[in-house]
Amino acid sequence: MLDIRDALGALLERESTALTVTTCGYITRDVYNIRDRANHFYLVGSMGMAAPIGLGIALAHPDRRVLVLDGDGSFAMNPGCLPMVAEHRPNLVHVVLDNGAHESTGGQRTVALGDPAAMALAAGYAAAHTVDDLDQLAALDLTGTPTLVRIRCKPRSHPAGKRVEQTPQQLVERFRAQLADPAAHLEGAV
Amino acid sequence: MLPEPSLTAGSGASVAETLFNALFTRGHSHFTGVPCSLLKGFFRLLEDPGCPASYIPAPREDSALGVASGLAVAGARPVVLMQNSGLGYSLNVLTSFNLIYDVHLPIVVSWRGHDGNDAVEHDVIGRELTRLLDVFGIPWTVLDNEHPEDSAEAFLKQYDSGRSTAVLIVREGI
Repeated sequence: MLDIRDALGALLERESTALTVTTCGYITRDVYNIRDRANHFYLVGSMGMAAPIGLGIALAHPDRRVLVLDGDGSFAMNPGCLPMVAEHRPNLVHVVLDNGAHESTGGQRTVALGDPAAMALAAGYAAAHTVDDLDQLAALDLTGTPTLVRIRCKPRSHPAGKRVEQTPQQLVERFRAQLADPAAHLEGAV
Repeated sequence: MLPEPSLTAGSGASVAETLFNALFTRGHSHFTGVPCSLLKGFFRLLEDPGCPASYIPAPREDSALGVASGLAVAGARPVVLMQNSGLGYSLNVLTSFNLIYDVHLPIVVSWRGHDGNDAVEHDVIGRELTRLLDVFGIPWTVLDNEHPEDSAEAFLKQYDSGRSTAVLIVREGI
């Protein structure tokens, strides 16, 4: 099982130019504190909406890669969106960081998830994987999409980082400016 | 604009066709939502293979708002359609995304239960629909089926090119 920051760091490096949508709570805060980039779109609320919002972004920009960073709690809140995502075959990687807990609210256990990878395949995702360490994550072929990657993580041992300092409006403005920059998807946005 | 003669706008166009054309000609090219019997004519247009717009069926109204929000963040102009019963599911996305990120959407909402003589499950939301929208400061227009172009105009004026979430209420079936 992985430290969630190691999992996020590896994903942000591997998919550095992807349009990245993060679910609310500690996942948004962890990503923001590991690395804040203009191609990141942080949700501060609307739990369960990271994948639908990622799908909308992917449909508007089919030339770009979309990375959705969900938690197990936010995934469990809206598995109904999986067939909707699958139907449109977006270039989207849907990551579920699964530590079995609602950590942002105090570490309460999540509903027993079953097998998110099997759920994604049953809903029509092109591929789905479950990994436990960085080597397995690095070895994944993520070319067929949409793909779900469930990463088994340990409960956090680190304190939550600071909250996102930009206003929601500033996040939208920055993300749109990055979308309008033709070089952004080649070089990675800063 | 539409290949099917039955879908052509202009004289003889249905209310649904007039409304669709009013939205589509103003750049609204993506439609998502969950059907309602009062909106079935509009959904028939969206499901027509010749429809020039993209249609993204959603499993639930909050997910429809989610995909529309992603489209809007990324520069597209989506429209969301739902029955008023779906407004409950939608409130979290409206209050913790659209109304705080200022990513606004035009939403077409049917009004089951508006006259108190509908099926019982529509009584409460039917009675409170406009008050609920008022609580959250969301402007609304009731579609006038005799003058759908005027209602669409008023609705889009409230939407104000994306500066405000706005609702077009459909009371009689289209």
